[in-house]
Amino acid sequence: MKILVTDDSRVMRQIVIRTLRQAGYDDHDIIQAEDGAECLAMVGSERPDLVLSDWNMPNMTGIECLEALRASGSQVPFGFVTSEGSPEMRDKAANAGALFLIAKPFTEDTFRDALDGVIA
Amino acid sequence: MTLQQAAEPATQPISELLDAETVQSIADEVWPSLVGDGEAFVPVPVAPPAELVSAWVTISGPWNGAVVVTCAPATAAALTECVLMTRPPMVVDDEDVADALGELANVLGGNIKSVLPGPSALGLPQIGSAPTTGRLDDVRSLVGQWRGNYLTITVQGATPASHTERNEVPQQ
Repeated sequence: MKILVTDDSRVMRQIVIRTLRQAGYDDHDIIQAEDGAECLAMVGSERPDLVLSDWNMPNMTGIECLEALRASGSQVPFGFVTSEGSPEMRDKAANAGALFLIAKPFTEDTFRDALDGVIA
Repeated sequence: MTLQQAAEPATQPISELLDAETVQSIADEVWPSLVGDGEAFVPVPVAPPAELVSAWVTISGPWNGAVVVTCAPATAAALTECVLMTRPPMVVDDEDVADALGELANVLGGNIKSVLPGPSALGLPQIGSAPTTGRLDDVRSLVGQWRGNYLTITVQGATPASHTERNEVPQQ
């Protein structure tokens, strides 16, 4: 399985990747994007099986990326990993087609709860 | 927790919207997750160092201001080593330190935003000298330490002219 981790913070991308491994998802290909625009391009070129994306990013936000993906016909499974988890944002994410929203700070248990059933 | 309902006009200072216990409880969740197991922000003040560096995110909405993390440059570097789990001979560079301290401010800011009146938008992390504060009563500051090193978490109102200058993401 190929997982695309998108965050403008390299530090946070490393933490997300580390947490994926700690949660037991350690035998998957991990690729990275620095913002929504790069994520959008890489979904087209790399064909990931899952996107984990930050929300607030320069150039193109995570929600704009998800909306652009769905508008283009892509149904790639998409989940947010973001520092904000208000009910309004969760609704907005779900309405745009996100499978889940993991709020920072998170633990490996949070990842397992969100990803079990999504990652084979 | 917060004392204000979301629909109320937002003229109250942060000292009436957010108590120190709420900020501490957020820090208690953030430190173990981001910095590492067993790590904590301890609200016991120590003497400030001569040189300081800050990272912050802005909150724009009914309440306008910033969530600012301030410490010594050496403390920021040590925090970064913990966040990245680096071990010698790996060293962190300035970009890593700015990124890690910025993410610490970002995660604290996102959680603090969620207990303030909304809707509001969170800016992207910035690093440098802390922004100037607005009204004297529009500040909620926790002065404490991490591993014995001076560190503060300050939630501060914007100066009247500054709160419209950076709003990099759309309102949610």
